[in-house]
Amino acid sequence: MSAPTRRYRFPLWIILGVVLVAALVIGSGALNTTPVTPAQRAVAIETGIKCPSCEDLSVANSSAQTAVFVRNSVRQLIGEGKSDQQIQAYLVSRYGSAIVLVPPASGWSLLVWVLPLGGGAAAVIILAVVLVRKRRTATEDPVDAAREEASLDAGASPDQLDARRQFLEQSLADAFAEHRAGDLSDRDFQALRRRDTARLAALDLRMVEDSDVAVLVGASETADPEVEVRAAAGSTEPALAAPGTATPVPGARRSRRQRFLITGAIASFGAALVLVVALFAASRLPGQTPTGNPNLSQQAQIQQSLAQAATLENQGQSGEAAQLYQKVLTQDPQNEVATAQLGWLEYNTGVQGKSASLIADARAKLDQAIQLNPTDYAARLYLGTVILDQDNNAAAAVAQYQAFLADNPPAALLQQAATILRQAYTQAGTPVPAAVPAA
Amino acid sequence: MGSHRARWIGITVLVVAAGLIAVLASRPSASVASVQSPLVGHPAPAITGTTFAGSDVSVPTAPGHFVVLNFFASWCVPCQQEGPSLVAFQFEHQQAGDASMISVVFGDTLSAARSYQTTLGVNWPTLTDAQGKLALAYGVSDRPTTFVIAPDGRVAAYIVGAVTAKDLDRVIAAAKATHA
Repeated sequence: MSAPTRRYRFPLWIILGVVLVAALVIGSGALNTTPVTPAQRAVAIETGIKCPSCEDLSVANSSAQTAVFVRNSVRQLIGEGKSDQQIQAYLVSRYGSAIVLVPPASGWSLLVWVLPLGGGAAAVIILAVVLVRKRRTATEDPVDAAREEASLDAGASPDQLDARRQFLEQSLADAFAEHRAGDLSDRDFQALRRRDTARLAALDLRMVEDSDVAVLVGASETADPEVEVRAAAGSTEPALAAPGTATPVPGARRSRRQRFLITGAIASFGAALVLVVALFAASRLPGQTPTGNPNLSQQAQIQQSLAQAATLENQGQSGEAAQLYQKVLTQDPQNEVATAQLGWLEYNTGVQGKSASLIADARAKLDQAIQLNPTDYAARLYLGTVILDQDNNAAAAVAQYQAFLADNPPAALLQQAATILRQAYTQAGTPVPAAVPAA
Repeated sequence: MGSHRARWIGITVLVVAAGLIAVLASRPSASVASVQSPLVGHPAPAITGTTFAGSDVSVPTAPGHFVVLNFFASWCVPCQQEGPSLVAFQFEHQQAGDASMISVVFGDTLSAARSYQTTLGVNWPTLTDAQGKLALAYGVSDRPTTFVIAPDGRVAAYIVGAVTAKDLDRVIAAAKATHA
């Protein structure tokens, strides 16, 4: 049996580092010699340009009209033979530097780049220094080896101590054999010998304490545990200390500090690593990776736009919602959901702005939505409300509301509409259906 | 030894934190940034386009009078708020001949925009800008957005949000004083 620390092994962290760097280089596409197509260039540029009317969205990921304008412009400028820098400079000259999502590496913005990378480098250096010091301490300082042994043996049973002793003796024997065979250098052999001898001494001390055989040596008359451990470590024969001497506190304190430093260094290094990976990932071109923005079918895009528009509408962002509904209608002019919702938004705007033409236009859209899908409950509800408000015709409104109720609307919408439904039915002199919840 | 190291670590952390605070504090606030434009003080991008009626409009590089370029949408409430004031501004300055209005549809259907302007009583050219080229050339991101272009063709002001005739008069007076 040989001690695991004795054989020279290539440091694992170097292998991991090489693998990491290789993965980043390959993943970044730096080695990709395939010519970049204009479409790939366009997407790469668009990924770094902020959508002018959005919060923290690139034009590549936004369906807002301004993003569409910028995308068209980027593709046109690429077609005109402009470089990436020229295209970016053009957009900055129009929208200002805030249009660029990636901060420039100059001025104050340079800090954004320097701080994480500097922190990462500092973390690596600290980690390396701590590890080297720890290794040197562990292999060369017999005092620390004895301390470490004392802390390892704390609470061990006599059988465990005996097994540990056998292990250390075997380790020493192996070290002698390997040194004799030329597999271990003089320096390493001396370090190992000092370390294991010190450990054996500390172990023997512990075993003697446990067997209540108190043997005092001259040096142990001092109460200083540091001196006792040094006495034990300096001799091949176990030097025994007075019973009851505790594991040295300074060593434990340094160990905690080292752990704290190592943890901090690893955390900093990890943060810097995440930044680097994110940086490389952001500049990846389509076609170079299976991950990223999926190419949605047109129908899926429409559904996504409708869902986004509904969210915006619920948040009170009618303008943005209207833009999305318009976008859906450019893709699918027969989409009854977008037609109805746009009509409803237009109606509300017309009422607020007292614009008869807008109200008429909105009403035409709601009629169109019902023609496209007679079972569109939302269009029925909206048209009924327009009729009730504008024509004051409760009977005609109730006709629309009955169609609305027959189409099994969601409970939440039903609850929202309860007041206006009850009002219309009451005005028309028609009993309120049981399906209408209390307002 | 240990306390010295802790002190240096603490000082380093404080210096870094102070640096970050200084960077963040020296940045313009979001509201200020939203009304900054790299175009102000520079030659205005060319104003060319097609009106609702299909006629072409092209403003000279140096128009010789102030041009107020307004990007709007019919459904936008601030646009509706400023509409009557823009009509009043055009009426006043049409008589004097020192300023004129041009509207650009931004994020709206042409039919709704046209209906809205007809209701409002707009009598100045409105460009459809279907491809968004004007909006892009002027870096427009929201509506309403108004640019005031000086007689020499330079952009004198960039305003995001509803404006009044008084606001525009103030901007024009300031531009005149600067170039006097």
